[in-house]
Amino acid sequence: MVDFRGEVGLNQFWMRLSNSKNNVTVTYYSFFKAKRQSAIDNRQSAMTLHGWEAIFFWVFALAAILAGLLTVMARNAVHSALFLISSLVSVAALFIILRAEFIAGVQILVYVGGVMVLFLFVIMLVNVGAEERGREEIFNGTRQVAASLVFCFLLALGLLAAIGTGVDAMQKRDAVALGQSTVQRNADEEKLPAGATGTSRITKQAEVVGGSLYRYASLPFEIASVLLLVAIIGSVMLARTLKQEASADDVAPEDLSGPGVEGTIVMGVIENP
Amino acid sequence: MITDQLIGFAFPFLSFLLQETVAKGRLASAWDKVQHPDLSKFLVIGALLFIIGVAGVLTRRNIIVIFMSIELILNAANLNFIAFSNYLQSTGRANAVAGQLFAIFVIVVAAAEAAIGLGIVIALYRNKETIWVDEIDILKW
Repeated sequence: MVDFRGEVGLNQFWMRLSNSKNNVTVTYYSFFKAKRQSAIDNRQSAMTLHGWEAIFFWVFALAAILAGLLTVMARNAVHSALFLISSLVSVAALFIILRAEFIAGVQILVYVGGVMVLFLFVIMLVNVGAEERGREEIFNGTRQVAASLVFCFLLALGLLAAIGTGVDAMQKRDAVALGQSTVQRNADEEKLPAGATGTSRITKQAEVVGGSLYRYASLPFEIASVLLLVAIIGSVMLARTLKQEASADDVAPEDLSGPGVEGTIVMGVIENP
Repeated sequence: MITDQLIGFAFPFLSFLLQETVAKGRLASAWDKVQHPDLSKFLVIGALLFIIGVAGVLTRRNIIVIFMSIELILNAANLNFIAFSNYLQSTGRANAVAGQLFAIFVIVVAAAEAAIGLGIVIALYRNKETIWVDEIDILKW
């Protein structure tokens, strides 16, 4: 606040603009002039982003929303997958803004590096030519689309109303703790060692998450490993061909597709045409 | 011209509205909220991503795009978990990382679900030669 007291003109305008009834806010000029610390001191509630963090928040949030919309709207499934990748990367950037660097890394490695490559493989295995050339309709019938859009609109209204009232009530409840811990948190951050470039600090988030994962969530961790094992076996079993399935079950393929059992195997059940 | 009349009528009205909002500090406080996004902004972004995913699941015909929309929904849930985790940390609970642990498990389940689901898609395509969900109706009587 002190920083732009001596300046006139635009500053005066901004100050008058930003002087609302009960809170004097730091606007616009503090982006470039005031120190970050003074900006933090001016706000009582924590978890409020400032300066470049706010700018990057809006950039990545809008990118995530836009890429999500294009994922749903794209005609070509490969384009959908690429838009979904950019949406996931934008959300990973939001995770970094929220100081969850480890989750951001996991998101990029697992989602973008693993799951989306799997998606692209499957898209290229199945035929999407008809969709691409515009012969097939990509959406359901008009009535279903209208009904689901109405449903989504009502869902949006409900969620936004719930967020509006809920967050206000929660911040009112935690007002004291938020005000106290802002100072404490900033002091703690100052103690962290600086990164190689000197512009950021090396946080202990990954350490804390790893410790908590084994300390408080070791049983779910083991269950998750069993789940992944089951998923591996299940997907291998589902994707087998008729011949592979027959050979694994010690049945000759010609017995399965003989004159008596004409038809195909749909998920282990022989379906007659 | 009627457009001139419309503009001539609308401009004083709009400028009056603008002056009112500026005088009452509404514009300033809205701009302030844009400059200082907090928990609610993250929750709104998560809700919008969730709704986009739901719309994709309900409206698309391509089963692979439906799977992608499900990934979008799970990602929106993750965003909410991480935002609340950060909020709880900023209320003084230094080790409140339960939200991040939940996010890890959500990612694990999403990976498993994608593997199984795409295996089912491959099996279906091999047998039914289609990826349109409205043509896969063997359970419908």
